[in-house]
Amino acid sequence: MPTEPSAERGPWSLALRRFLRNRLALAFLGLFLLIIVFVLAAPLWANHVAHTGPNEEHTVEQITVNGEKKDVVSVEGKPIGPQWFGAGGKFFLGADSRLGRDEMVRLMYGGRTSLLIGISAALLATALAIVLGLLAGYFGGWVDSLIARTLDVIWSLPVFLIGLAVGIALAVGGLKLGPLELSSGSLWNPILIISIFTVPYIARPIRGEVLSLSRKEFVEAAIAQGASPGRVMFTEILPNLASTVIVFFTLMIANSMLFEAGLSFLGAGVQPPNSSWGTMITVGVELLRIQPLLAILPGLMIMLTVLSLNIVGDALRDALDPRGKARLDAALQFEAQPATAKPVGEATL
Amino acid sequence: MKKLGAVIAVLVLAALSTIGLASCGGGSSTSGGGGEGQKGGTLDGTYASFPDYLDPALSYTAEGWTAMADTYIPLLTYKHANGVEGSEVIPGLAKELPKISNGGKTYTLFLRPGLKYSDGSPVKASDFPFAVERMIKLNSGGSSFYLKIVGAEQFAKTKQGPISGIKTNDKTGEISIELEGPSGTFTNELGLMFVAPLPQDTPIEDLSGNPPPGTGPYMITKSQPGKGWEYERNPYWAKDNGKAMPEYPEGVVDHAKMTVIRNPETQVDDIERGTYQWMQNPPPASRYAEVKEKFEGTQFRIEPTISTYYFWMNTKKPPFDDVKVRQAVNYAVDAKALERIYAGQITSTQQILPPGMPGYEQFELYPHSMDKAEELMKEANPSDKDITVWTDTESPNNEAGEYFNEILKELGFNTTLKQINADNYFTVIGNLSTPDLDAGWSDWFQDYPHPNDFFQPLLAGESIQPTNNNNFAQYENPAIDKKMVELAEAQLGPEQEAAYAKMDEEVMEDAPWAPYGTRTLSTFVSDEIELESVIFNPTFGHYLTSFEFK
Repeated sequence: MPTEPSAERGPWSLALRRFLRNRLALAFLGLFLLIIVFVLAAPLWANHVAHTGPNEEHTVEQITVNGEKKDVVSVEGKPIGPQWFGAGGKFFLGADSRLGRDEMVRLMYGGRTSLLIGISAALLATALAIVLGLLAGYFGGWVDSLIARTLDVIWSLPVFLIGLAVGIALAVGGLKLGPLELSSGSLWNPILIISIFTVPYIARPIRGEVLSLSRKEFVEAAIAQGASPGRVMFTEILPNLASTVIVFFTLMIANSMLFEAGLSFLGAGVQPPNSSWGTMITVGVELLRIQPLLAILPGLMIMLTVLSLNIVGDALRDALDPRGKARLDAALQFEAQPATAKPVGEATL
Repeated sequence: MKKLGAVIAVLVLAALSTIGLASCGGGSSTSGGGGEGQKGGTLDGTYASFPDYLDPALSYTAEGWTAMADTYIPLLTYKHANGVEGSEVIPGLAKELPKISNGGKTYTLFLRPGLKYSDGSPVKASDFPFAVERMIKLNSGGSSFYLKIVGAEQFAKTKQGPISGIKTNDKTGEISIELEGPSGTFTNELGLMFVAPLPQDTPIEDLSGNPPPGTGPYMITKSQPGKGWEYERNPYWAKDNGKAMPEYPEGVVDHAKMTVIRNPETQVDDIERGTYQWMQNPPPASRYAEVKEKFEGTQFRIEPTISTYYFWMNTKKPPFDDVKVRQAVNYAVDAKALERIYAGQITSTQQILPPGMPGYEQFELYPHSMDKAEELMKEANPSDKDITVWTDTESPNNEAGEYFNEILKELGFNTTLKQINADNYFTVIGNLSTPDLDAGWSDWFQDYPHPNDFFQPLLAGESIQPTNNNNFAQYENPAIDKKMVELAEAQLGPEQEAAYAKMDEEVMEDAPWAPYGTRTLSTFVSDEIELESVIFNPTFGHYLTSFEFK
């Protein structure tokens, strides 16, 4: 007996329904969107409230706070603390350092940089991973061996240390590779480093899925109909990877942001005077005893963003592949069981 | 029974005696001393960066000179004293100050007999010309001081020796140095480590990883570039060199270990906790006021210096080949801002010569004015506005560099800021093959109390060299060069000081630099160290021989 058309739901709408039932994920999605709005509002705040740019220095200036003149940076080198709306929004969170830059403005612009690097690196890594995973999983043989071993090599490297060394070299000398030329302060430097070193994290699971999908009947049918390998990979297999790609992409944004924060903290990522949340922690740590907020705030922003992305990413995975979660739960339960049953064939006394 | 009683009495007496003896002997050992300073021990110190070189021929930074001052003694040396007294030149490996004859062109010295290097080999008079030749072959930044020796310029071009103007006699220990012309600074320059004698089998290469044997009370026994180094007592000091140079301090601690800790906040915390006993660099700006308030007089002391902190501009290429652009930059730099960036450790100046240096006379050619700066920029209208600004990573110099970068942006330049690790900064910007050396940060502390020290190595045309260059502005003004040579030949007196003051102003009219301040440094030690005993020399910084435990 045929089902009612209105009762049929496609896999995407089912996934959406499952996601929307996850209130925690929705809350953190809301938080992430709020963070996006916060950083996108940077020019508005800078131009209309703080009246300063993110790199403008106000070392010797004074501001009027509730009718009283205050040094932005004192003669002893102490930057002004949070003024909230005492100076009409100027130095809302205080000055960032002895250079007297507006901390709130830098926090917002820094967020744009951190998110831009995080999203761009994740996009690039995902794109590379899809290509490598498809090639390795579809062709197998020496192609798979070559790609898989290369990924293994990258994976086995002390990623952060190598990334740091390369980052420092690029920060000083930039990159000149044939027609590709990047200046030392280019944001593409940390984007490239992060994406190259995070490719294995996505490429390997994609390769596994492609290996499995390549054996399915719909793929065999497409090949039998004369479809080229490229067509099979990108029009038959790739759409079936969508849920995996979406989940990993979300999680990789968080991973990339943490990687960038670490590189920038150590001077190998975003270069001064530009700000990212990582560089702001570097500057803030120096003033931790006298202005702790300068290090705490950017760290908090990184934490909230990464937490939101991780929770949303987990929820997306559960929504898009509920059987995957069930399989994982079953595997975990099996692992936890004590070995009470005798294996077949074991001799008894 | 009487016998038994006697036996018991003897036994009791013996027991009591034994108990009494046991309680008298040994005693508890104390780690700290009562009394004036404790001999021996290991000094644990920290530096925020590894010295540019741990090779006496090459090092030209405060870190390097502090590290090696009591390890390599030149023919002449500087008195182990604070302040002005520490600028007095006294005999080192030489018996006496040089006899100057032949119209000021011939310097004759005699090596003290019986001197040995820390590897046991004897010190010979001919080791001195070897050291000079090695220094020149290595393209040391100090080479320009010694090119006035007859034959030295030719040697510098060909690297083929010997230098004809140096004659030695290993039997008598005589060293005779002939100069091209009289010099008012050569005695001072003989006291610099560049030309400290070395064994003649010392390789002609940078030996920072394995420093050569020296003649001082201490020797460097282990060096890990980037991480740290260690000292032990020179085994040939007590019975050989120390006896030959009784006026040179022998040092109190037996060992010393220096560790590079790049975070100055951590350095301060470590001193407060007693994990380390000394930090070579001053506390960071963020902790300076707190440390000063808490420890001044007991563990902390301010040390005035004779120094100039400045921004250099490459006068050889656009846009800074235009004097109007350079003058605009000088008008744009605000000394008040930099005073705050250095948390009050900088006293503003706009001159080559710092206060305290003979020849210093205050003037202000470029009172801060962005309007004037912009006016000059409009007049100059440079076509090339893409520039690279260099600074090192050590606070607050990195912030000074960021400040300079923003100033240049305000003037309309498209800037790229490059922050280089402090270990390598001067090596990188001193190498003329490094691309885009447009402008950047630098500092200079006096080598000796003569104004020539701030002109010749930093601003003389002949000082521009392909590596280990210190004339970062690549400034070359033949008229000024001629004046420098003339003034350096004469003995320093009021007439010469007035001429140096005038030259200071003339060079600043050309504005190859934007100087901004004179720095105060400090001594900060843990509570185990006797603060009063620590000597801060204006040229060499803290002497290792002066540290002693309470």
